[in-house]
Order: sequence, then C-alpha cells, then structure tokens
Amino acid sequence: MLANYAFIGIFFIAALIFPLIPLIAAWRLRPARPTATKLDTYECGLEVIGETRVQFRVQYYLYALAFVIFDVEMVFLYPWAVAYNQLGLYGLLAMTVFIVILVFGLAYEWKKGALEWV
Amino acid sequence: MIEIPPIDWSVVLQLCIIFGGATALLMADLFIPEVRRRVTGYLALAVLAAAAIAGVAPWGCRGHTFSGTIQIDSFSLVLNWIFMLGAAITIVLSFDYLPRHGINRGEYYVMILFAVGGMMLLAQGADLVVLFLGLELLSITLYALAGFAYPRTTSEEAAMKYLLIGAFATGFLVFGIALVYGATGATNLAQIGAVLAEGRIDGENRIYLMAGAAMTVIGLGYKISLVPFHMWTPDVYEGSPTPITAFMSVAGKAAAFAGMTRFLLTALETQREIWVPILAALAAITIVVGNLGALTQQNVKRMLAYSSIGQAGYILLGPLAASERGTEAMLYYLLAYTLTNLAAFGVLIALEARGEAAWNLSDLGGLWQRSPGLAIAMAIAMLSLAGVPPTAGFVAKFAVFTAAWQAGQAVLVFIGVIVSAIAAFYYLRVVAQIFMSEPTREVEISSDRVLAFGIGLSVIAIVLIGVLPARLLNLI
Amino acid sequence: MTWLDIVILIVKCIVLTLAATTMFAYFTLFERRLLARLQNRVGPNRAGAIPLPGGQRILGGWLQPAADAVKLFFKEDVVPVMADKWVYIMAPGFAVIPALIIWVAIPLGYWPDGAGGNLLQLAEIDVAILYLLAVTSVGVYGIAIAGWASNNKYSMLGGIRATAQVISYELALGLAVLGVVMQAQSFRTDTIVDAQTTLWYIVPQFLGFVIFLVASTAEVVRAPFDLVEAEQELVGGYNTEYGSMKFALFFMSEYIKLIAMNAIAVTLFLGGWKVPGLQTLADAVTASFGANIGNAVFGLTSLGAFLLKVTVLSFVSVWVRATLPRVRYDQLMDLGWKVLLPLALINVALTAIVNVILPDNIWISGIVLFVLGLATLIGATILSRPKYTSSQVTMVKNNARS
Repeated sequence: MLANYAFIGIFFIAALIFPLIPLIAAWRLRPARPTATKLDTYECGLEVIGETRVQFRVQYYLYALAFVIFDVEMVFLYPWAVAYNQLGLYGLLAMTVFIVILVFGLAYEWKKGALEWV
Repeated sequence: MIEIPPIDWSVVLQLCIIFGGATALLMADLFIPEVRRRVTGYLALAVLAAAAIAGVAPWGCRGHTFSGTIQIDSFSLVLNWIFMLGAAITIVLSFDYLPRHGINRGEYYVMILFAVGGMMLLAQGADLVVLFLGLELLSITLYALAGFAYPRTTSEEAAMKYLLIGAFATGFLVFGIALVYGATGATNLAQIGAVLAEGRIDGENRIYLMAGAAMTVIGLGYKISLVPFHMWTPDVYEGSPTPITAFMSVAGKAAAFAGMTRFLLTALETQREIWVPILAALAAITIVVGNLGALTQQNVKRMLAYSSIGQAGYILLGPLAASERGTEAMLYYLLAYTLTNLAAFGVLIALEARGEAAWNLSDLGGLWQRSPGLAIAMAIAMLSLAGVPPTAGFVAKFAVFTAAWQAGQAVLVFIGVIVSAIAAFYYLRVVAQIFMSEPTREVEISSDRVLAFGIGLSVIAIVLIGVLPARLLNLI
Repeated sequence: MTWLDIVILIVKCIVLTLAATTMFAYFTLFERRLLARLQNRVGPNRAGAIPLPGGQRILGGWLQPAADAVKLFFKEDVVPVMADKWVYIMAPGFAVIPALIIWVAIPLGYWPDGAGGNLLQLAEIDVAILYLLAVTSVGVYGIAIAGWASNNKYSMLGGIRATAQVISYELALGLAVLGVVMQAQSFRTDTIVDAQTTLWYIVPQFLGFVIFLVASTAEVVRAPFDLVEAEQELVGGYNTEYGSMKFALFFMSEYIKLIAMNAIAVTLFLGGWKVPGLQTLADAVTASFGANIGNAVFGLTSLGAFLLKVTVLSFVSVWVRATLPRVRYDQLMDLGWKVLLPLALINVALTAIVNVILPDNIWISGIVLFVLGLATLIGATILSRPKYTSSQVTMVKNNARS
C-alpha cells in the first residue's frame, strides 16, 4: 500500500523534469537580441511609474483570514464524513452543532460587512 | 456502530450555558441597533445569572466527565461564582463607559462571556490540556479586550504588550505540560499525582518533571503577575479600557490562581517539600516588589496595577499553606479582592466621564466635596485593599496569614505583615487626598445610575462580608 | 519490487505525462474550433489538412497544436530586468507540476493487472480525495509567484486576484466534495467509483455537482471567472511579462488543470469509468478469448467511457466560456461566499440528515436528496436574483414608452 505513495513521489519527479525539457530546448533554440525597451517592464507602452510592490487593499486579507477559519473547520468535517453513519443520531446532532457554529460565523461576517467588496 | 462514552451533562451545565449563551448573544447582537447596545449587556447579565443559578443544584456534589478531564466540586463552584460576579459587575460598570469612549460594540459583552467560559475551564479542569485550553480562551479574549479602545494608542500598546508577553507565557506553559507528560505519561492531574505518590519517577524523568512543573508554574505565574514575571502588568493595566483592567485584575487573576492551585495541590501534592520553599520565596518577593512599586506611583490606575501585583503575593500564601484552610483562605481572599478592586476601578470609571484619563492622584483631590458617594466608595475600597478592619480585606489577610502560620511559614507571615503596614501608606494617601485636598482641576463625574449601582453593590458587599465573615467562611 | 516493476512504473509515468500533454494540445484545438462555431466563425482549419483527389481537403487544423508549439519554441524569450530572475523562471514550473500530479490519483479506467491492481490508476491511495483537494489548491502558487516575480503592476494584481479567488472557491469546492465522501464513506477514488454502480452520484448529490462545476471553473480561473487574466484590464494578468515557452507552460498548466477538474467531476459525480453492460461485455470476451484479452477489452472500453464523459464536460466548459461574460470582482466574491458556501453547507446538512434518517436504499434516499437539492437550488436562484423596486421598474418602462 505504501508503494502507492512512492508512485506519487516518482510521478512528482517526472512532473518536475517535464517542464525542464521544453524550457531548456527553447533556451537553446530561440534567438536572443535584447534591447533596453524589450527588457523594460510592460505598462502598455507608458513609462513605468512608482513601485509595484506597494500595499494593496485590506479586503484581500479579510478574505484570507475568513478562509483560514473556514478551511480549518472544513477539514474537521472530513473525518466525520467517512464515519457519520456509524455515529448515528448522536453524531449527527453533535456535528449539527458544529455546522451551526460554522454558519453563525459566516452570518456574523456577512452582517458585519467583512464579505463586502467595497 | 461506534460507541460514544456517556456524558454527565450536570458537570458541564454551567459551561454549556455560558458558551451557548455567548454564541447566541453574538448572533443576537447583530440585530440590536447601536443605540440599544445596552440590551446586549443586559442579555449577557441574564446569561451570567442563568449560569450562576445552574451552579446551585450541584452544590456539594463531586463529579467528572469527558473521560475525567472536567470535574466539578465546591472549589470550582465557588470560583465560578467569583468569576461570574466579577464579570457581572464589570458589565454593569461598562454600560456608561463604552458609549462615552466611542467603543460601544456588542462584541465586548460577548468576549467577556467567552473569557468567563475560559476561566470556568481553568477552575473545572482536571487535565493539563483543559487547563491550557481554558487559559488560552481567557487570554485571547483578554488580548482583544485590552485593545478594545482602538484607535486609542495606549490601548493598542497594551494589547500588543499583553499579546507578546502572553504568547511567551503560553510557550512556557505548553512546554511545561509536554515535559510533565513526558516524565509521568499522563496529563490528568489526578493520574500525575498517583504516579508521583508511587514514587516511580527517578533519574532523568525526575529532572524533566521538575523542569516541566517549573515551566507550568511560570506560565501561570505570568497570568497572576508573580514578581519575576510581572513586568507587563503596569503598562497593560494602564492602557486597557478601565473596566477591562478591573476584569483582568480580578477574574483573570482568580482563574490563573485556580489553575495553579489545582496543579500544585492535585498533581504535585507529594512534592510539597520542593515547591513550597520556592513559591514562598516568590510570594515574598512579589509582596515586597509590588507594594514598593506602588509607593512611588502618582497615577492611581498604575498604583492599582502595582497593588494588584502585591495582592497576588498575599493570595499565593493560600495555596502555599497546602491545606484545606489555605484553599478556603485563598477563595475568600479572591472574593474580597474581586469586590474591592471592582469598586476602586468603578470610581476611576466614574471619573473618566468625559472620555479622558483622570487618574492622577491630584484629580482625586476634593472628591469628598464633589461627590460624597464616590469618595466613600473609594475610601472603603482603599481601606479594604490596605487590610483595615472591618472591611473584607482585613478578614481576607487575616485568613491567609493564619493559614500560612499554621503551615509553618512564620517568616513569610512576618514579611507580609510588615509590608502591609508599609503599603497602608499609599492606600491611605489616596484617602487623605480625597478628604483633605482641594481639587486641582475640574474633573467631570459620571452620574450614571447603573454605574453608581455597580459601585454601591461592591462597596456594600465589601463591608458586609467584612463584618460577617464567619457565615461565608463556613459556606466555603 | 523488481527492476522490471520500476521500469514499468517509469514508463507509466512518462505515458501519463505525455497523455496529459496531448490532451492539452487537442483540447486547445477543440476549444478554438468550438468557440469559432459558437461565434459563427470557422476557426483554425489549415494546418495539416489532407488533400483528397477532387480538390477536397479533410481534417483541416489537426496539426495546429504542433504548429503553435513550434512557433513558441522559436520565440524570443525576454526576462524583464526588473523581475526576480530565478523566481520568475521557476514560476511556470510551480504551475505545471500540480496540474500534472493531480492525475496520479484519478482512476482513468479499470484494467485489472491480475494482482488485484488497476493498470489505469497510478496510485491507489487511501486519502485520494484529500490529495486531490490539496494539489488543486497548490496550483495557485504558480500564478501568485509569477505575479510577484514579474514586478509588473498588472501581473501583481493578477496574482493577488488569483489568490483571493482560489481560496474563496476552495471552501465551496471542498464542501461539495464532502457530500460525495459522505455518500461513499471513503476517501478512495476507486471506492467512490465502485459505489456508483447502481446510481451515479449526480442524482443524490445534484446540488453538490452544480456547486462543484461552478467552483471548479473558478478554481482553474477560467471564463467567466478569468479576472486573473482579464485581457481588457490586466493585459493578461499574471502572464503579462511571460513569453515563449514559459508562457506556453502557464497555458498548458491551466488547460491540464481544467481537464483534470473535469476528470475529477466525472469520477465523483458521473460514475467515473462505469458504463452499463461493461461487465457483461468483458465476461463474454473472456469466455471466448481468455482472461488477458477480456481484461484489455474491459480496460480500453472503460478508458473510452471515461474520456467520453470528460469530453462532454469539456464541451460544457467551452460552451460556458462562449456564452457568459466575465463577472465583476465583487460579484465573484459574493457568489463564492454568499451563495456557494451556504449552499454547500446546506448540501452537507441535507446529505447527513437524509442518509441517517432514511433507510439504506440508495434509490429512495437518492431521489429524496435530488428533489431537496433541486428545490434548494431553485430557492437560492430566486433569492439571489437582482431585485428592483416597483418604482425602478415603472421608471424604466416610462423611459421605454417616451
């Protein structure tokens, strides 16, 4: 059984090598005549103004935070999902409480406006 | 079918009420408009009342559930009541404070409830993992509450300092738990105690156990601000919103003491000859440093912070006695201290009516002429902190000193008494300022009825349990 | 494990990689032709046409992918001076590797190797579902890294948008898959396929299937959720600064991921390689030609059925791209968080309740779930439609009259 995980590893190596072949081939084949204009950052032909790596809007972070919470909770649902039938009604109720808390969290964020893209 | 072990719901009833109520309140608050924010507070009070009443039925019972990780006994019930009392008075004191400072958000009350839940886990925990869970729940909510006065920079600073130091303390605690588990093979307090009683631990394991126990105590020591670990206390107490300072200084401290007492007296019972001298030394340093630090403060809030460090040293005398008597004394002290500190901070809240700090000693000058009620409340609180009869503070100090004396800690009691006498100086200086000085500047005083009710209730309780201590001591 | 086994394994790996690449190449042709048809154009129809006697030419365009590849090989490759050179070069690799290794855990068919194994599934692991979810979400690293390393504002925006989008839809995706896991009570893809012998999971998990299709389209940042590239505003987004073979690798990873997503959808909801009557056919062949031929027939037929189903879903993908305009970013986030996530939670709850309460008969519980899922979907559609007040409506009507 463990051998199957080794297959993933071997295939991973294959997948690692795979993009190298065309990259190296193209590197040998293609022409290279760089000019200052070619090497410049592309901004629709205008001069580059300002830094690229600036602060961007906080909304992205809010989504990322919400994601971390929900993703962890979702991961907790997985072990339950493969055994919920054996846990019977009690397991169902326990998980209902859990899902209700999850929904409360979502409702809270929704109502507080954390999910609004303003 | 997978068997699910039965759960004794009566053991966790109070916890269920608090956590369920807090979650429901979080939802309910979404639909309460800003101008009616007090409704959230009243609902939170209702939740606390329900949980407090739920604690009456199991009085005198002992039991545990969730595979022996959560237990209930008189000790935890009394502590739960102290936490709920502290939280309830804090909420009452906050009604007026929050809108005046522009931080009238419903999460405040919800987080106080969650913090109370964490404290109850600390009091009811019979397993190191549950203790850790409770402490984390308590700390994380308190970090957020300390920074609740955002965007006031002092509040943010307090939250940041508390978070960083708290994270450090958590690291100690978890590492300590891991080492204790490695040495004894158990996280359950009673099991650890049993393993140690058999005397099977020796050699390397003994070193691990001692290191682990020391780190666990250090982790909890940060929360109760024992002296080498107290550096954060003045800054955090000064920067946090005043009701939260009050809550932190009483309930948070009581919870950490609960956890520490459980750990020391259940798990490390047999190792008494090792930890008693160490903790006695710590208690002595704490009493001395805390009170001497308070001597030089001109800022009353900061003075109270140092005083709370000193008080922690006195409270520690209770568990140090390692007897029934000592634990009772500690509980009594915690109750008295809770009421006293809440009353003192309540007066400070009343002085912050305009939303700016009025914590200088001179701001208290002439309080007697301007507001006799507040003046008397502050005076009684100060006398109680100093340990002057007939207040609760006196009986509490008397109880811990007797317990420690009986346990053979004569030197410690001696130091305690001497320092109490010195400490009386700065407490009485406040009283003198109130009654004998003239006001230096105009400080607006809040005339909110609910706030007055909260302060009044605490003050009456201080006097009442000071005059009739026997009743309560018997009950405990 | 002998040397022979390892050689076979390596050959399998190479075959799978090449197969994925070929699928990508021909999917691009498929898409271009189909899009052209849907837009009343002709599409690429020259490369590789075979002249017939009488001036007729057939199979026009079948060499188009090869021609594209040759063109890309000979393009000049410019690394912008402002870029982080090595990160910039590595980014396409980060994008391609996850796209390829998804395929390891998908059963492409069933070809018994005589020892209880399956020749058409490279790794039969116990946590295949978790593996698939993990690898699909890792795919966004390539885009995020490319956006950052290019040091170009458009690329940066594309990369950030991609990250936010993928994590938002990952929740709905994961919860949709959870419904299937609950039905089959297993994380193994082969067990899930086996469990669909009686009834494909598209019936009991209809709601889950719809969520999965939408979320997977967003997860591989394809139209109408291709804000990451958005030619008109971001000039290609994260790949603005990429050219030549590096661009081709991004392009490839995107399409391989899309096909892989469709393959996962087929495995989870459309019965995988199952077709009715397959076992009877294989038994008949085994009876007359022996076990090896029987296995081969079984394997090839199941592979064919699988590819056919994937093609059907791929057709849907192209169709969607041709039909729907690109959404706005706030709409994208609203759809993910306020529509799909609650729906997916409802789906999980419905699945749990129905399967615990109703008896083990898959038909009854399946149809009940289907009806409930459909009702939820219709309800959600009604609830989330744009609402206008009556005054707005009269205003527009009056405008139209005057």
